[in-house]
Amino acid sequence: MNGIRVGKRVIGTQAPVTVGWENIPKVVGGPVKLFVFTWFQPVMLFAMIAFWYYAPNSIAKASTAVSIGIGFKVLLLALEWVNPRYASWRLTWKELVTDLFYVGLGFTLLRMVSHYIGSDVMAKAIEHHFHQDDFRWFTGLPLLVQALLIALIFDFGQYWMHRGMHNWYPLWLPHSVHHYITQLNINKGAVGNPVELFLIGLGIGGFFDFLPRAVLISGAFGLAIGTYQHINVRFNSPRWWRFLFNTTEHHSLHHSQDFESTRSNFAGTFIFIDRIFGTCIDGEAELLGMEGGRRMSIREQMTHPFTHGWRALKERFGQRMAVSAE
Amino acid sequence: MNLRFIDWIWHVRDSLALAPGQSSDEAFDRLDPLFRQTGTRYQRTHDTLIFSKKDQAAQDKMSVFDAGLLQIDKNVGGPVLRYQLTSKALLFCFLASPLFLGIAQFTVFVSHFEKPTPAEEKKPADMPMNPIDKALGAPEPDKSKKEDKDDDKKLTPRAAYIFSGIFAILYVVGRILEDRLIKARFKKCLLSAE
Repeated sequence: MNGIRVGKRVIGTQAPVTVGWENIPKVVGGPVKLFVFTWFQPVMLFAMIAFWYYAPNSIAKASTAVSIGIGFKVLLLALEWVNPRYASWRLTWKELVTDLFYVGLGFTLLRMVSHYIGSDVMAKAIEHHFHQDDFRWFTGLPLLVQALLIALIFDFGQYWMHRGMHNWYPLWLPHSVHHYITQLNINKGAVGNPVELFLIGLGIGGFFDFLPRAVLISGAFGLAIGTYQHINVRFNSPRWWRFLFNTTEHHSLHHSQDFESTRSNFAGTFIFIDRIFGTCIDGEAELLGMEGGRRMSIREQMTHPFTHGWRALKERFGQRMAVSAE
Repeated sequence: MNLRFIDWIWHVRDSLALAPGQSSDEAFDRLDPLFRQTGTRYQRTHDTLIFSKKDQAAQDKMSVFDAGLLQIDKNVGGPVLRYQLTSKALLFCFLASPLFLGIAQFTVFVSHFEKPTPAEEKKPADMPMNPIDKALGAPEPDKSKKEDKDDDKKLTPRAAYIFSGIFAILYVVGRILEDRLIKARFKKCLLSAE
């Protein structure tokens, strides 16, 4: 494969990829379908922001956000059946069971771990150290500005954490498991080694825990934009949306079987962060995964970072010891 | 312990009448594409086909099954395909339900050691509200006690119970659905006109 030159690099030499919005297929159907799959994303985003902006204090809380999150994902699952991007990404019973197992771990065991040694502890420490008065300059800003800043700072942190995972072997080991997924569906974002899921959860969102409404609005950015990273739905996303926000197209390229393509589109929500740092590629891929698309079993997903880490340590230090003995 | 009493959990056994006069070779030839998949190994003798799968693709039509035996019996009424398929995915889904029940119990056990949150020493600050938000009609900042807000952060077994229920339902659905799907697939391969 010859590949396609994008800036200083050549992508698509190992697996087929599509580059450029003009080459990406559009939604096919009648005017209603075209309207729905063009405007669904912006309408949902603005609806969620408006909801959290005006929701009475009695319902503006995390449990409501969880319920909305679950309801939204069920709706998106239905859209996967109505207008799939690729038939080869169809959700099967086995895929659903696998994905929900990881979602379940996230809601139970990982939440417990975060409660004791993760983001909850960080949030408590920060709350203990500072008083809300120390942040009056921030809490006095308009709510939408607060929310946008929180979302931006959080995504900026996620960008570098994610880029670090692709560039530093100890972080790549737990993250690599997530790159063995071979199709994108609505719960695929939860699939990965628990160590990675814990690390990703260590976001700086906890820093803003004392600003509930602004945090809830910023969560709407994550839900109504970031969720589309892993989904099997074809949208005609508006041009401004594709320029600012991460899309399925961007993230499918990030999951491509082509190594060079995986080193692009690291941001979770705001793709313009990738544009700023020169890692954005506008395009998409259908063939996803590692090792030519080998589907990893749950057992291997659990042990992979440890077995490969141990092998790498033995290779490195075993060789060194052998050399010093000679 | 005789596993036959419980192995229906992860085994699918059934039979399918072949077209009159269809030979074993012809039947297995028709089923051949199902076994020419990534990660699938199979061995054919005259009346028997044994297969195993490893890291099967998500879209493999038989991805739920990891191993199996297909046999063609020549009965008086005509040839019959009998099959016995093993599925780790079905077993996993079956066990996931008690696993999440266990997690729920573990959460209850751990939450007994949770210390009650000490009374808030710091006075809640008077949260300012930006004039723009006031003009747009956003609700006033919440001034209720912090304990009320912390309810969302308490460890509860509810999610684990819900997932236990989800996996129990998914198992029943999968056990019935995958059984029917594979029979329909075999039937389509064996009985469809060429």
